[in-house]
Amino acid sequence: MSKKYDLVIVGGGPGGYVAALHAAKNGQKVALIEADHLGGTCLNRGCIPSKTLLRHTEIIESIQEAKEWGIETGELRLSLDKMRKRKDDVINKLRSGIAFLMKQDKVDVFNGLGIIESSNAVKVVGQDSEELLEAGKIIIATGSTPVVPPIPGLDSVSFETSDSIFDIKEIPESIAIIGGGVIGVEFATIFASLNSRVTIIEMADRLAPLEDVEASKLLEKTLKKKGIKILTSTKVERFEKAGEKVATVCTDKKGKEVVVESSTLIVSVGRKPNLSATSKLNLEMAGPFIKVNNKMETSIPNVYAVGDVVGGFQLAHVASAEGIVAANNASGELDKIDYHVVPRCIYTLPEIASVGLSEADAKAKGLNVRTEKFDHAGNGKSLAAGDTTGFTKIVYDEKLGEIIGVTMVGQHVTEMISEASAFMYLEGTVEEAAKMIHPHPSVVESFYEAAQNIVHKLKKEKKLVR
Amino acid sequence: MAHGIFMPKLSSTMETGTILQWFKEEGESVEIGEPIFEIMTDKINIEVEAYEEGVLLKRYFDVDAVVPVNTIIGYIGEEGENVPDESPGIQSDEDDAEAVTSAQASEAEVEEVVAVAAAAETRAASNEKLRATPAAKRIARENQVEISLVAGTGPEGRIQERDVIDFIKNAPKATPLARKLAQSEQVDLASVTGTGVNGKILKQDIAGALAPAPVAEVKPAQRKKLAGMRKVIADRMITSVTTAPHVTLTSDFDMTKVKEIRAQLLPTIEKQTGYRLSFTEIIIKATSLALSRFPSVNAALIGDEIIYNEQVNIGLAVAVPDGLMVPVLRDTNLKGLAAITAEAKEIGKKARDMKLSPAEMQGSTFTISNLGMYAIDGFTPIINQPETAILGIGRIQDKPVVVNGAIEVRPMMVASLSFDHRVIDGAPAAEFLTELKRILENPYELLV
Repeated sequence: MSKKYDLVIVGGGPGGYVAALHAAKNGQKVALIEADHLGGTCLNRGCIPSKTLLRHTEIIESIQEAKEWGIETGELRLSLDKMRKRKDDVINKLRSGIAFLMKQDKVDVFNGLGIIESSNAVKVVGQDSEELLEAGKIIIATGSTPVVPPIPGLDSVSFETSDSIFDIKEIPESIAIIGGGVIGVEFATIFASLNSRVTIIEMADRLAPLEDVEASKLLEKTLKKKGIKILTSTKVERFEKAGEKVATVCTDKKGKEVVVESSTLIVSVGRKPNLSATSKLNLEMAGPFIKVNNKMETSIPNVYAVGDVVGGFQLAHVASAEGIVAANNASGELDKIDYHVVPRCIYTLPEIASVGLSEADAKAKGLNVRTEKFDHAGNGKSLAAGDTTGFTKIVYDEKLGEIIGVTMVGQHVTEMISEASAFMYLEGTVEEAAKMIHPHPSVVESFYEAAQNIVHKLKKEKKLVR
Repeated sequence: MAHGIFMPKLSSTMETGTILQWFKEEGESVEIGEPIFEIMTDKINIEVEAYEEGVLLKRYFDVDAVVPVNTIIGYIGEEGENVPDESPGIQSDEDDAEAVTSAQASEAEVEEVVAVAAAAETRAASNEKLRATPAAKRIARENQVEISLVAGTGPEGRIQERDVIDFIKNAPKATPLARKLAQSEQVDLASVTGTGVNGKILKQDIAGALAPAPVAEVKPAQRKKLAGMRKVIADRMITSVTTAPHVTLTSDFDMTKVKEIRAQLLPTIEKQTGYRLSFTEIIIKATSLALSRFPSVNAALIGDEIIYNEQVNIGLAVAVPDGLMVPVLRDTNLKGLAAITAEAKEIGKKARDMKLSPAEMQGSTFTISNLGMYAIDGFTPIINQPETAILGIGRIQDKPVVVNGAIEVRPMMVASLSFDHRVIDGAPAAEFLTELKRILENPYELLV
């Protein structure tokens, strides 16, 4: 006799486990199937381990800076083993935290590969057993895996992806990073602080090409200062073995051949959906991803999909939000996803955080927007902290004072962006932002100051509706 | 010290005012600037505001009372103060020291009231009659509340302080951005359904309210109290149609010769009077001549008596903003076209400017209503009581008519005569209209 569940969720990452908890709290009987560890890419191979290592980077940089402030230490000795152990401790703690929550809310967790047999049956393939679960509804939350591009020579050299890089045993002497997106720039920051020689090779004309241009430029400038070599508008042609090293052969924007030799190669050019669970379903697709509507419903009734497998932002917090929407709909409570306010964070040093539309995106959408930028050089807390790199930029509508988007660069901005998100989500305008009392000194005063500057300008121009 | 409340003199010709309503009961407290009563003059209706604060001690007149100007109609003072049981009447002599001061003060106040009246007229002209107490207006201003959105619960729907406070308290929940958008797009938040947490109105809700439904549908229908001139017209019309059995006769008049005579006389009369002779004056003159020959059509039914008027005084219906006035031209059967033209033009302008004195609106024995400037032929005018009949004039239009067995194009005009069947019967009324037709088709006798 197979076990019966109201809801079976395939995939235990931030999309799946959050959906499981939410559906359980809605009173559903829930099964969660995970082939590897709970927490998915985010916890095991993504956000959390990288942030753990980036914290090390932050401390290393601080120690170096502190010399000039009269705080001297001896020679800096780095133990990658200890760093990795701390990373693993953090991961284990969080994994057991999720397991505890599952138990608390009586979600049955199955360890095995989930294969969806039909719209109401899911097979769990364990190491040496198989089990069929009867499912009233199903949520597909199988996530994504790193893309390995079909570049000549890649199959004959050894390379790392974000899945494997966290467990390397030695600090590489040199690293070539293919792809200057979010993942690439974070790894570059980590390894530069560990004294690896880092080269980023990016096909687009700038790093983090989806973010604000000024943010990209500032990031590029600071990464270069840290000794990172950045090749933009550069296309990788092939990989070759060069003794112990790998030679990455590229063409730069002038058509000139450039060869980058490195002891380690990281490929971080994007992620592709993991469709291992859904091969037996005839799902409608949207490109490589599973097609869903704003209720997270797939083309098959009672089957939902969330997270990286549906594409879109490919961010953990978006997957969780989608998971909650799917869980609500699967529990009979109508819910719709709203992507209006999605914060995006890059945890480099300086950090980049943004929400809403960038200036370029807003203009591309035909919105009549203006921008206001406040530099952290004018911020007391940043000066006191000795880190004035960065700015806060508000994209706004001059008539209503609506905040269309915010980009922040600098220390702590990944925490600060939530203030901008809250204003946007609650539909506060620059006027409220300029009026709300902010703590002093704090870096987030930059947002406050930018808002005040906007209000003063608009008042002068008599543009605001009042 | 009790202060007298006077019937204000709002214009040089105003002799009396009719009390339309009191806003305050005896014993109620009154603040400076609060309206205490509403009056109607021969021209306008207006709220009169208090210029002293205290308690309304006495009201001497009831609603509908017609009171001569400067008559004390009530007192404001401190609670328990003694005031006369009867109105001391018009206050102009020195029989009471207090009254004298009040009366003197009132001279200045009258000026002020006149100013207020002017303001009220401007407001009426903008077609947005908003009644709100000064306190309500202040609170609305301080809280940036659009006062026209507040529903008044005071007398006559007046918006009071507590209405604005309630409005602010019960205002729909909306995000700041939604509020701004609503304001910018002139969307009434109360008409929008919020989809945010606990029904909070979001930007997209306003956008939704804007998109499918045109703004006109969102706006509630305008409401206006039936009052003042409109009420007078309404009352008079209903009395006329319910008491007088109306019969309307229509006849086509050939205006060829009227056109000729007008063309001939126009330069002369313009030179004499400065006014251009119009068809109306020729019709007035012709009608007056016909009336002098048919006393029963020039009669008035008052009570159980039919009064055959000696004079022929023509009332001329004049459209004014949101109403109708009927100034009177006297002895038109005895006057020449030049005199009638000058008088008709002058009195018509006065009517449109709302500057008629009561005397100029009294004493008509027959009324003419001319809709000839519109695309109107015949219609059924309602008798201006106590008169017996009314003549409705349509446009003059070229039409094919049979003249001596041949079709000819002639300027034709439909005349509609409504008469009170209690006073006269069909035959004499028809005779009168036929006579009028005869005169207008042979108008040279008008010059005799």
